[in-house]
Amino acid sequence: MKTSLSWLKTHLDLSGTTVDKMRNLLTFAGIEVEGIEVLGVDSDKIVVAQILESVPHPKADRLSVCQVDDGSGTPRQIVCGAKNYKVGDKIPLALPGASLPGGIEIKEGKLRDVESNGMMCSGRELGIGDDHGGLLILDPSLPVGKLFRDVVQPDVIFDLEITPNRSDLLSHAGLARELAALTGNALIKTTASATTKITKAAANQVLLSAPESCPLYTVRTIKNVRVAPSPEWLQSRLQSVGLRPINNIVDITNFVLMEMGQPLHAFDAEKLQSGIVVRHAMADETIIALDEATYALTTDDLVIADTTQALAIAGVMGGSTSGVTDTTTTILLESAYFTPSHVRRTARRLILSSDSSYRFERGVDPQQVLNASELATKLILEIAGGEAADEVIVAGTAPVLVQDVEFDEVRARKLIGNPDLSSAEMHGVLSSLGLKKISSSDDKSLWHIPSHRLDLQRSVDLVEEIARVIGLERIPSRTTGVFTPSQSTDRAYDFAMNLRHAMVHRGWFEAQTLRLISTAQLSHVLGQRVTIEKAIALKNPLSEDHTVLRPSIVPGLIATAALNIRQGLQKLCFFEIGRVFLSIPNGGSREEERIAFLLSGPAINSSWHQKESPVMDVFHLRGILESLPGMAGQTLEITPKPLEDWLLSAEVKRGSKTLGWIAQVAPARAREINARHPIYVAELTLNALQQGAQGLAKFTELQRFPSITRDVALEVPTDLPSSKIAAFFTAQKEPLLTDAVVFDVYSDPTGQKLSSDKKSVAWSLTYRASDRTLETNEVEVVHQRVLKALVGSLPATIR
Amino acid sequence: MLTQLDLLQTEGLAALSSIIDEAGLESFRVAYLGKKGSVTTIAAGMRDVPPDLKPAVGAKLNEVRTTLTVSIEEKLLGLQSAKDAESVTGIDVTLPGRPSTSGALHPLTRIRDRAIQTLRRMGFALADGPEIETEWHCFDALNTPADHPARNEKDTFYLPDGRLLRTHTSSVQVRTMESVKSLPVRIIAPGAAYRRDEIDATHLSVFNQLECLYVDRDVSLADLKGTLEYFFQEMLGAQTQVRFRPHFFPFTEPSFEIDVKLEAKGQEARWIEIAGCGMVDPAVFQAISQQRGDALFNPDEVTGFAFGMGIDRLAMILHSITDIRHLIENDVRFLGQF
Repeated sequence: MKTSLSWLKTHLDLSGTTVDKMRNLLTFAGIEVEGIEVLGVDSDKIVVAQILESVPHPKADRLSVCQVDDGSGTPRQIVCGAKNYKVGDKIPLALPGASLPGGIEIKEGKLRDVESNGMMCSGRELGIGDDHGGLLILDPSLPVGKLFRDVVQPDVIFDLEITPNRSDLLSHAGLARELAALTGNALIKTTASATTKITKAAANQVLLSAPESCPLYTVRTIKNVRVAPSPEWLQSRLQSVGLRPINNIVDITNFVLMEMGQPLHAFDAEKLQSGIVVRHAMADETIIALDEATYALTTDDLVIADTTQALAIAGVMGGSTSGVTDTTTTILLESAYFTPSHVRRTARRLILSSDSSYRFERGVDPQQVLNASELATKLILEIAGGEAADEVIVAGTAPVLVQDVEFDEVRARKLIGNPDLSSAEMHGVLSSLGLKKISSSDDKSLWHIPSHRLDLQRSVDLVEEIARVIGLERIPSRTTGVFTPSQSTDRAYDFAMNLRHAMVHRGWFEAQTLRLISTAQLSHVLGQRVTIEKAIALKNPLSEDHTVLRPSIVPGLIATAALNIRQGLQKLCFFEIGRVFLSIPNGGSREEERIAFLLSGPAINSSWHQKESPVMDVFHLRGILESLPGMAGQTLEITPKPLEDWLLSAEVKRGSKTLGWIAQVAPARAREINARHPIYVAELTLNALQQGAQGLAKFTELQRFPSITRDVALEVPTDLPSSKIAAFFTAQKEPLLTDAVVFDVYSDPTGQKLSSDKKSVAWSLTYRASDRTLETNEVEVVHQRVLKALVGSLPATIR
Repeated sequence: MLTQLDLLQTEGLAALSSIIDEAGLESFRVAYLGKKGSVTTIAAGMRDVPPDLKPAVGAKLNEVRTTLTVSIEEKLLGLQSAKDAESVTGIDVTLPGRPSTSGALHPLTRIRDRAIQTLRRMGFALADGPEIETEWHCFDALNTPADHPARNEKDTFYLPDGRLLRTHTSSVQVRTMESVKSLPVRIIAPGAAYRRDEIDATHLSVFNQLECLYVDRDVSLADLKGTLEYFFQEMLGAQTQVRFRPHFFPFTEPSFEIDVKLEAKGQEARWIEIAGCGMVDPAVFQAISQQRGDALFNPDEVTGFAFGMGIDRLAMILHSITDIRHLIENDVRFLGQF
């Protein structure tokens, strides 16, 4: 909300309060200062002056030397760079000693050897407007020598963010009241209670048919007004807070809104067919509002209507047909209380916000309704003339929204954490804010809450006021510790961090991609996997790019790869640890933490030592998976699970526990992102992986006796998975056979050295006893037994 | 025989000086000192030397053997060091190194971890909750009125089933208080939150928060103040100034926004809004108590504080990152900088 300092000064003596001091005062009252704009200059050294003569500067083409009349009787010489004036123009002149808003101090001096005794100013140099095109040319009727601050009133505009609980600060009077409490300065004027006679509305004058949304509606008739532009002071007041002057009647309602925080509305009485009806809109009813847009209403919306049609959207905006125009002579001045929740619903639904709805939504003070009506009437009579009805027509009653609150001092001290706060000081704070002590005994007191403080409902609300006013500086800092046991979340976090460090040590980069992705990206990247990992769609996505919660991290990593490929990166090693979202069959959802990997390109970035590097393949990724924390001492199983849209798609297990999947991205997809090498991805469930890292590892005694290795080359069908052979060796109940490792794989597609439907797989078998050195013949016996069993159980021959 | 030995020594030393490699040196050693070498052969003739001459010849023999042995050693050292020097000839150490495998943690991970480690030192433990939340956990239990602006489809993502994507990690406070068996509750809740914002230089629709809650029988604003001052001084430096501005949040009363003073080189120090905090509103304890059906969180007996901050914002401030989108694009030129 824009707030004018000079407007505030009509309520409160703020002399001696600098802009910085005001900023601090507001900030520590809980009112955020979002911007400060200084308008005009409050200086007695800036005057209206007239240019008498202008000649070119002898030494500078772009400068002129002017003689100006500053009212002193003696012409003053000024060197000037502007071009937009002519001799005879009146301009603002800053005399030596003046200081301008930008921090410029005016001094007597010489410009390129020519004396210059002051500065003629542009609008921007004086803090009025942004026009830097040249000098500010003034009204020729202004007398020379007049102080410029009397021509343009200096002001400071504070752009304030008022928190939603403090609707009472949404006006100059309200802010002044708060500042008075905080500074101890007395208010210059307080709003007097309305004295106008009131009459209960007859049904044909005002019919309140929705009292739950509008408990109080008042209207006053003013006849024979002359609608015209507002006087200068009123226009400049409104302009200073960002409102556009329209005509005197509308301007006065806006002025009262900014002055008191009570929205008002003026109807042209002659455009009404009858009395006023406050009712819910009818289904399919529409209204053209003052912004000339047509709004479709629902029966939940409240309108102000006559017997034929809706005239205004209650509390939000007037209608265009019933508004005040230049030809209006009789007005109906509305001042009412609409309930916040109702106005909020309508404003949100219509996406229509106004200064009125903003205040009604947050809650206005119902006790102000008649006062505001009276102030507006007084101003209308002063400015637009006319005769006001003797009575205000009132329908309904002002709801009482505040009640007395009991204040518990002991709990206040405990919550604030300062046992030294005296009750006198705490009571003093409450009193300064306009609360009235009704009674007190020992540690408790009962307080009457002023009607504008809708936010003070409970004892804790009063504690907040005290903490706010005394400030946290007065509260000691306490740093006592509490021992807390770690939780499963802590263990999961630590495991994930270990995993991250392990990956970074392997040279991988950690990515973090958005959890909201597009359906297209999802199905394009995941292909057939989408049916496996069902995504959860948003009801109200903001854009097509972010419509579903990711059921997999892989699409994000592919996008990461694409971006980095565009930047020329060749070696791609990315991982991400994060949450995925899965729909479950009976409705509902499951959230799970996963780690995903993406690998592609050369194993080593090329450099002057080594221009070529082997291109990473699926075994690079498998090697990473095998060495992850959570895999120590355990075997990774990869079970091929062919899946359309993917190559080498397989399930990843540790023992019988499924961890996730691994695959090569379909080359067609990889080409779309201009990948020059195959892309491999894998995705594992963190929790499943973590189960392999539970507890502390147990030490295995180191072997003291040498081992004997025997190599064997097997000729097997090309489609026999290596894991079958490995499984065979693992299953052997030969205590001396301790290890079996593949050391060579060979095939010959030409069929010359080896039949093309066969491959040769060479294994190295390790034999060892833990208690003695083995004899060669002892090993030979076991080895032959193993080979015999192998040939017997697998389609293998020994080469 | 003495003359013979003298001659042998002179010859030997002369031959040694012309040897150019270790193999030659070894042949030389064998030729003189080996089993059949000249010196050995002469030594074998010792038995024929008359007894009165034996001491002099023996001494001479030892002298020649020692002289040759030492000379061979010296020659060997000389040859080796020459070879060592030659082994690095032509190496230009000013050339760049071989590429090392260097990856990097995401800056958000690093900042979050630093915050978590700091809070763990203060005795906070981690807590977690779902990101798909019910309105009750995200709003109702946190004293947010049914018609609060945050609760509409313009600002919050909803699912067709009425649930929503949590707008803050504060829902984890509720989840935790719902389920704990005893006090105190002293938790850190890091996690993603969602707001229906267009993505631009300063906004993401999915962002990262970190939130803390401490509930016990005697928690006061003094604890909140002490905790946050320590936290930000640990995160941002021991000299960091922290200030508390009164503010409003539905779930805390009183509420404050926290500013820290940032001193950047060549710039005027300025206050930067960095977190929100406050004392848990009794209405929150009331809601939790109703849900639990017991008195563990009786609003008349327990108090607590909560604070929360945006990790993205913290990372941007700490690393002077100018565009929040860098945090989700994962360009290695960005990731490699932290």
